[in-house]
Amino acid sequence: MVSSSVVDTVTGPSLGELWKTRHDKARYQWSSLGLLTPTFALLIFLFLVPMGFAIYLGLTNLTLIGPTAVHSSFTGMQNLIRLKGDTTFWSSLWVTGIFIVGSIAGVVVLGYTLASLLMRATAWMRIVVGGVVVISWMMPAVTAGMTWYASTTGNGTFGTLFGHPNANLLDAQPLLVVTLASIWSMTGFSMLVMGAALRNIPSEAIEAAIVENASTWQRFRMIVLPLLRPTMTAIVLLTGLLALANFSLIYVMTQGGPGNSTNILPLYSYQQAFTYNNLAYGALIGNVMVLIATVFGVFYVRITARRI
Amino acid sequence: MTPDNVLESTLSTAPATEPVLPPENRQTNRTVARSLTLHTVLAGIGILFLAPMLWLFLASIDSQASWGIEWPHFSLINFRHVLTGSLLHSLWNSVVLAVISTLIASVAGVFAAYALSRRRIPFKGPLILFIIFSSGVPLAIMVIPVYEIFSRFGFLSILPTAVFLSVTSLPFEVYLMKNFIDAVPTDLEEAARMERASTFQVLRRVVIPLALPGIAAAAIFGFVNAWGSFVVPLILISPANQQPAPIAIYTFLTLPKAQFGNIAAYSLIFCVPVFILYAVSSRLFREGFVLGGGVKG
Repeated sequence: MVSSSVVDTVTGPSLGELWKTRHDKARYQWSSLGLLTPTFALLIFLFLVPMGFAIYLGLTNLTLIGPTAVHSSFTGMQNLIRLKGDTTFWSSLWVTGIFIVGSIAGVVVLGYTLASLLMRATAWMRIVVGGVVVISWMMPAVTAGMTWYASTTGNGTFGTLFGHPNANLLDAQPLLVVTLASIWSMTGFSMLVMGAALRNIPSEAIEAAIVENASTWQRFRMIVLPLLRPTMTAIVLLTGLLALANFSLIYVMTQGGPGNSTNILPLYSYQQAFTYNNLAYGALIGNVMVLIATVFGVFYVRITARRI
Repeated sequence: MTPDNVLESTLSTAPATEPVLPPENRQTNRTVARSLTLHTVLAGIGILFLAPMLWLFLASIDSQASWGIEWPHFSLINFRHVLTGSLLHSLWNSVVLAVISTLIASVAGVFAAYALSRRRIPFKGPLILFIIFSSGVPLAIMVIPVYEIFSRFGFLSILPTAVFLSVTSLPFEVYLMKNFIDAVPTDLEEAARMERASTFQVLRRVVIPLALPGIAAAAIFGFVNAWGSFVVPLILISPANQQPAPIAIYTFLTLPKAQFGNIAAYSLIFCVPVFILYAVSSRLFREGFVLGGGVKG
């Protein structure tokens, strides 16, 4: 595979060199280091170092402005104790959980429904409906948040559509509405990936089940679901990770309000760091997010690595 | 995005499975009814997905737009208003931010992807797992410690932010490009090696041209990621004249006398590059991998 060893044999290395170098395996090449350096330097300095720094930062009294902005000191467990008694944090964790679970459920169910229905639909339907769903996925978060705000506030599209034009849905059910917006903005991806996985299911398997008189539900449970499980797991984990970090959509729509009803962790972390100037405390809340993301990420690595 | 699945979706060119034909004619009525239900359900979902976007389109061509939905007073004046002054400058900032971050991530990424695909490297397995892990975890959650580091070095401006944004898309780009390079046959590379081409020459003359669809797709992913990013520039860019378009849109919203038509028109313009690039990338994926012809006998 690596031809430098071939070149060596042509020019004829000494017997001693031949003894030392194994020719059945590719050798390490120093240029590999040069090829890997830019990527891993970037990842070390802007991912691993900040991650380590954040752990320290979370245990200090650093603020955005004031005397402790310049001379901060290590305060040990103080922030952790504060976090433990912080009811806003616990409610934020709860809201984050609902938001993530709701987003995952919606994205998986809608993505599967759309993918399987579109497979049997006419080409025209596939282009129009598929296109609309993909566009809603591609739309940048700020724009998505804004247009959802407009659609769910008083006189908005949804209120008008359901016959209550003056209803302010966003105020009435803030968490539900932002979760729906989050589902809307991620279903396109799930639909495309599920569609690809569905097309990979051998049609013989389905035909055999039809010959055996299996009902639609049985076909789904016994054939489609097991074959789709790895794909679904990947979608569940990625949707969870994206929902966890979905700052922009909610920030534009509600800024975490009314009250703290949509205040998911990234918003609360931002609020503490940049609105209340408690940079260190904000970093600590960020660390909680990193912890959750790591759990999801490890599972994601496990299912992805199994397929390589 | 999951790297694997994107590839799967692109590689499977198999047409959608045809509906299984009913064995007897008396079932035809049931099939028709079923197809009707299917299309009604689909149309319903489609309308629900379209509904939130409706405001954006209608308000952008409405000279008297509000937050509410209404029949527009048709005019294109909104588009003319927003393509001037600081708003145009913000779009330009977005271009700078996205282009620089895409360049950094794609160049660094293609080197790493090549090495991880072809070379024998110590700890290769763990390195790849680390890449997969960081491609799934949204690295933007690192923004507070990065803010503190940047502020100590006086880096709170557009260029360092572009570098950080490149890192947020780098792992996925590496993984995507590695998968594409894996699929490039090694024969051509070995031939180039025999002619004593350097590593850089092999990359530039053989690997990059052959894996171009994958590299382009990865670059498009990086561009779209940086283009739409809101929270990272919000926190990391402090000079007002360096703010990209998403921040301009948000600032627009918070103004006491918001010009809704202008906001909608500007947002629509802001979305256009994303839609175009998505269309290009899905084509790239479909047409990618016609490498077989490069190697003969």
